[in-house]
Amino acid sequence: MDWLQQFLPLSAERLNIWIGVLCTLAIYSLLYRENPVYRFFEHMYIGLAAGYSLGPVTIDILYRYWVEPIWLQGYWAWAFVVPYGMYLYFIFSERYGWVSRIVIGTLIGASSGVFFQQFSSLYLPQLNSTLKKPLWIGSANPDLTVGMVINNILFVAILLSVLTYFTFSYEQRGPVKRVAIWGRWFLMIGLGAIFGNTVMARMALLIGRIYYLLNDWLMLRVGGG
Amino acid sequence: MQPQTIWQRMLGIDRRLLYLLLFVNIVVFLLAPLRMPASISPPVQKFYDEIEKLQPGDLVMISSNWSASTIAENQPQLEAVLTHLMRKQVRFTFVSNEAQSRDISLRLAERITQGAGYEYGTQWAHFGFVPNLIVAIKGMVNDLPSTVKQDVRGTAITRLPVMQGVKSLSDYKMVIDVTPSGTVPNWISYSPKNLVILYCPTSVMAAEAYTYLDSGQIKGMITGAKGAQEYEQLLNIVGLGTRFMNAISFSHVLIIAFILLGNFAMLMQRIQLSRED
Repeated sequence: MDWLQQFLPLSAERLNIWIGVLCTLAIYSLLYRENPVYRFFEHMYIGLAAGYSLGPVTIDILYRYWVEPIWLQGYWAWAFVVPYGMYLYFIFSERYGWVSRIVIGTLIGASSGVFFQQFSSLYLPQLNSTLKKPLWIGSANPDLTVGMVINNILFVAILLSVLTYFTFSYEQRGPVKRVAIWGRWFLMIGLGAIFGNTVMARMALLIGRIYYLLNDWLMLRVGGG
Repeated sequence: MQPQTIWQRMLGIDRRLLYLLLFVNIVVFLLAPLRMPASISPPVQKFYDEIEKLQPGDLVMISSNWSASTIAENQPQLEAVLTHLMRKQVRFTFVSNEAQSRDISLRLAERITQGAGYEYGTQWAHFGFVPNLIVAIKGMVNDLPSTVKQDVRGTAITRLPVMQGVKSLSDYKMVIDVTPSGTVPNWISYSPKNLVILYCPTSVMAAEAYTYLDSGQIKGMITGAKGAQEYEQLLNIVGLGTRFMNAISFSHVLIIAFILLGNFAMLMQRIQLSRED
């Protein structure tokens, strides 16, 4: 009887869990077949997520970075920022659509500048690291093991063959084509690894929900740990 | 009408039956009193070693950008990492680039820190939802208090004891990015070069990050729930990663069996058809 009393939604905490279970089962009902219950909960989730974002956007962004500096600190220059951003909505007007392009232009310009820095910070160290990979054991790198050397050689060989595969400036023939085919195979292995990880991620998410059903709702002791 | 062969029946099996088998498999292995040991992968070991190098009082930024949809992967990671940070007595602050993550990470951190007696404001803080990560990082590199302004509770961050003397991101020792999205390139690109970057992606994102690990741009990585299990083993604790791992492992075995059976059935059917022709 104690278990039943704890199980039923008689407290706010339990009610919360029951609502979570209802949502979980409704969403997973799609696995059986398409149905109106699933559709309802799907739309509700999208609506909730969008509505929820309004809170943080209003409190953490608009108030913190716009209203407060203007009203409390007197930075009146900020007053134009939000109206300027809202010019984007002119995109829906046939007559004044050109106004939105001013904001779009600003965004593209800013993004380009930002990504220029990103390219150099992100890829140049990788290039540097690749060029510095030792491909043989010598006095300059006494800590290197045979395994590390094989790893480095494989790395460089795969890098060059994949780059060859993406060379489209001329027709690939003979040995170049063979290297490119190897590059394609290596790419497929890479994509397979990504897909394998994707399966693991999706399984983990499913297991997380089943764990919730067993542990939080049914209050069963999950013994894996 | 010709009777169906066993291979045709296997290929025409109702997928809902496979879902049911998968569900039963997961339930059985979640409830089974087993604990599979994990072999610690090098990225997880490096992650652990980097945190071990921290001194008490060092400051760490946790970028928490996950929401309810990836809770099963990112929550075990974050719980394990917080446990380690608190053992090392380091200070940490949260920043969320995702609206939902603001409250999810705050509640999780409150629960974990209360259990360990960590005090909000003195030893840790949460900056709330800070949009546009690139702009936020660039702002924090130049002037952190002006960029963040307030914590999640509305207190000016200059008044928080944990933030005393902190002027920019350069005053931090480490950034830990717990995320289901591609945010780590932004941390690599725009944060100060003295900052150690550690990464907790979902499994989907992990494969792409090995290039950053190889080049040393990130120093360690915990991959999804599997990585969390390894980290829990290093910390000698039992968390969600450990609890999930039996079910994850055996669900993979089942999926591999399904794939092999499906391909075998297709091959046998082709052979049978070619014989009939």
